[in-house]
Amino acid sequence: MAEMLRLQGFATSPGMAFGQVHLAGEVEEAFTPASDCSSEHALLAKAIKDAVNALRRLAEMSGPESADIIDFQVEMLLDPEITEIIGERIDRGEGAAFAWVAALDEYIAGFAESDDEHLRARVSDINDIKNRVLAAMTGKPMADFPRGAVFVGKDIEPSRFLAHDWSAGGAIVLFKGSPASHVSMLARAKSVPMVIGTGPFTAPQEGRVLVDGDAGEVVFHPTDAEIRRAGGRIAARRRSTAKGNKACLTADGVPISLSINVNDPTELAGVDREAIAGIGLFRSEFLIASDADLVNEDRQYERYCQLLDWAGPKPVTIRLLDLGGDKPLPGHDASKAASFLGLRGIRLLLAREEILRVQARALLRAARRGNLKVMLPMVTLPAELAQTMQIFTEEAVLLHQRHIASHVPAIGMMVEVPAAALMLDTFNEAAFFSFGTNDLTQYLTAAARDDAAVASIHVYAASAVLRLMEQACGIAAAMEKPVSICGDMAGEPAFMPALLRCGLRHFSVAPTRLEAIRSKIAKLNADGTMAAER
Amino acid sequence: MRETPKVTAQWQTEIEVRHGIGLHARPSVIFTRLAKSFPCTIEIEVNGSSIWLNGKSIVKVMGAKIRKGSLLKIRADGILAAEAIAALRELVEHNFDEGKIHGRNA
Repeated sequence: MAEMLRLQGFATSPGMAFGQVHLAGEVEEAFTPASDCSSEHALLAKAIKDAVNALRRLAEMSGPESADIIDFQVEMLLDPEITEIIGERIDRGEGAAFAWVAALDEYIAGFAESDDEHLRARVSDINDIKNRVLAAMTGKPMADFPRGAVFVGKDIEPSRFLAHDWSAGGAIVLFKGSPASHVSMLARAKSVPMVIGTGPFTAPQEGRVLVDGDAGEVVFHPTDAEIRRAGGRIAARRRSTAKGNKACLTADGVPISLSINVNDPTELAGVDREAIAGIGLFRSEFLIASDADLVNEDRQYERYCQLLDWAGPKPVTIRLLDLGGDKPLPGHDASKAASFLGLRGIRLLLAREEILRVQARALLRAARRGNLKVMLPMVTLPAELAQTMQIFTEEAVLLHQRHIASHVPAIGMMVEVPAAALMLDTFNEAAFFSFGTNDLTQYLTAAARDDAAVASIHVYAASAVLRLMEQACGIAAAMEKPVSICGDMAGEPAFMPALLRCGLRHFSVAPTRLEAIRSKIAKLNADGTMAAER
Repeated sequence: MRETPKVTAQWQTEIEVRHGIGLHARPSVIFTRLAKSFPCTIEIEVNGSSIWLNGKSIVKVMGAKIRKGSLLKIRADGILAAEAIAALRELVEHNFDEGKIHGRNA
């Protein structure tokens, strides 16, 4: 058996897959010499027409999420400007195929060099158009690959993704690629595991490969032990997705993720794991009863493992200790508790690094047990995120030196400070965002949440909070980052229309609120309007 | 909004693009489709480049590499030029949200 080869990339679509390697070659550009001008013009026109027809057939077969991409490609092909550019080249004596490829390559080059991720992501869309028309001209169909195979290559075109039958499984591994690409988006929508940015490597031509779209890991020729371990995880995931169709849907059929907020592992006793998307918020500070607990790495580790074991393959988002404000450090005089505007959340952890490092180690170790995500509380500035990530990296290196197994989890942040919500696009390092509406409201309205005298302000200012969230959701969508809401607003059915209108599709609520929210969502359309009575 | 008087049937406007992904893929489809629904000529210019591109061509609009923060000028000449400018401007200002914007006949 060939030697095992393990690569680390960047996960852009979660899930695990195991299948035969399909190493993609470059599209062959075989050119026939130009005959006369008018027949070359006709050849181009026919190829474009064939390509448009093929795309329209593809659109009928694929889901609505692919309509945007196909629409775009059809518009490009039908644009008279495109025929004009190529036509000029044909008039100069170039063959239709050559003129087409040369003109499109020139056009693509302008995008490939861009420093903007979204612009670079368009390269594969335009390449797709190029190859499709070229295939129509040369009479060679676009190459598909065997069902269930793992596609390995430099890039994959959206239409090749859409034309492929993914029902037998499979995955995508790209040397380069972009998380903002259409294919990344489609892969997430279709639950096809995808890992990008493995860097160039000599991929084995054949044999089997294991793809972990959660950890971004790719293993060629895995050992039997490796396969068994992965097999268990794949089976667990299949079970959970099969049953997970207690899935929460809006009246017009848009899936909504419902997760739970947990303060103590004992609260999980009555919860049906199959009915939820995961643990959207675990408030780790509630585990801490004393000063000693703060520095007890093993105790923290055990509790986190308990949660991860319970959740199986489902994501568990553990929030770093959110102390200060109304939750003073244990053993410290509550009367001297830091104000809501002082050292709390991530500020306190960065000021008391020894506490953060203990928790980081416990989390790094626990991350191997399941699908862990770590969330930072009270982030105001990108530097706070960067510093925390740095500490996680340093601790991971130290653990490695001590031969202690660890894994760096996805790190995201709470959006509960208005400054962060406004500047969300500067937090590009965050893996995800989650709105904490209680604090967001408090800080936005300058009305303390523990002062009954100003409680009504919180009620009447909800529209200001919603407006801020709508704007932030727009930014997150443009960044293609997952965004959820875990504050009390999410557990309040009356806010559901407005929250859906903001674009939120992931809600994390107290277990006791699950049913109320689920039934409210079923009565609403995804745009927040009431579904028509039947 | 800077506009020349209506008598010339030439209208122009200038907008900062605030949409995170500028005029790519989906937004460029929506923009050019709306532009094509007007009989007048429509041209765009990005960041004062003095290069005016056909606003009805998705190839040109995509190629302009408009991004967040870009300064977009749109000019229209001919029948319904004023309406075209108003509709396109509204589209860009509403971040290409189709649901809120309709063509001139809607």
